Amino acid sequence: MQLHFTKDVLPDSVSTDFQNLNKLNEQFPRLIEILFQFLLEPKETEKFMQRLSEFAGEHGMSAGPLRNLMKSVLLVPQGALKKNLTAAQIKEDLVTLGLNEDKAAHFSQQWGEHYAALSRHAVGQTLMVNQLVDMEWKFGVTVGTSEVQKVGNIFLQLKLVVRKGNSTENVYMELTLPQFYNFLHEMERAKASMECFS
Amino acid sequence: MSSSAICVSHDSPTLTSPTANMAAAVSSEDFNTLQLLLKAPSKDAVRDVCIQSHRGPSRRLAETTASTLSIPAAQAAQLVQSLHRLSHHVLFNNLSSPEQILALFPESFHTSLKNLITKILLENSPTWRTDALSDQISLPQLKELDWRVDLVTGSDSVSRMSVPTCLVQLKMEDPCPAAGGKSISTVTVELGRESLDTILDGLGRIRDQLSVVAGK
Repeated sequence: MQLHFTKDVLPDSVSTDFQNLNKLNEQFPRLIEILFQFLLEPKETEKFMQRLSEFAGEHGMSAGPLRNLMKSVLLVPQGALKKNLTAAQIKEDLVTLGLNEDKAAHFSQQWGEHYAALSRHAVGQTLMVNQLVDMEWKFGVTVGTSEVQKVGNIFLQLKLVVRKGNSTENVYMELTLPQFYNFLHEMERAKASMECFS
Repeated sequence: MSSSAICVSHDSPTLTSPTANMAAAVSSEDFNTLQLLLKAPSKDAVRDVCIQSHRGPSRRLAETTASTLSIPAAQAAQLVQSLHRLSHHVLFNNLSSPEQILALFPESFHTSLKNLITKILLENSPTWRTDALSDQISLPQLKELDWRVDLVTGSDSVSRMSVPTCLVQLKMEDPCPAAGGKSISTVTVELGRESLDTILDGLGRIRDQLSVVAGK
């Protein structure tokens, strides 16, 4: 079987699952809707399972086999996202797997509609090292020190919140005015550089 | 508190008792002690002792001063402390005119020495002030900023992509690290476009507020 979304050899159960999918008619769109809701919010596995159970109940199916079926179906959009497949390519794959034309067309149309959001999300999942999560700041005037009674220097304090693995780390620093203006200038240059790539 | 008491990293290997620079007025006893400088072989010798005393008491300085002035070590140590109190008093109160400094000395003080000390204090005050301000307690100070923009062309979640990302490296120096701590630290953070825009937004607001403050 030549498939766009994966180079792996799929277990036979996958073909069986797609053929079983053909048996659903009026229920198919709703099932696909549930599937895409999950793809758009991949962290909400419990909601997904719950919706599948409700669906199974409503249509006189057993929840367990339905879940297994969906696991097979999920392989296609998940692989397609990684490989940036078009709606046409995904439709071809579904047909190759045994899904009938109408259903494959419906699925790929939904894919096309949601592709932008799904893509953004996948890109958002891309590894970032020490991602800057938040920045807080305050500035003020140093009025005096133990060495010099009267001063009038402006200072700026920054707190950067950096994601390190599963937790965050706070980094505190102080900048003088010239350093602040330099920081601002450099960040503007970085932004200009990034905009070259858009 | 004197800065040499807080930061163990400063020069003097043997610290005598911490001197509270700010509040200590210069006593008449101090001025008496200062007249020991009349024994100095040259104006330059007076200048040297004044400048070195400003940093803080040290046994080495007391010894050198004792031999330069041919006075006992104990007296030299007192002289260094008195000079230290005087220079820090001038610094703390920002005495910047000759009249202000001359007014500190008692009537009976040797006139030429008084003028010389005043001149030395005025000459060095700007440097001492700059040093004090750059040495003051603060959060780690940003020393260097470097950045780089990468184009991410693939990842485990999307095999083909073209997304710019920005890496910023910040080098900070802690002016007063905790004992055993390092003074220079480096942090590298990664920012996506949106984060960078948000940061620029925040920095822009800071700049606007700064110009309001500067305008006042």
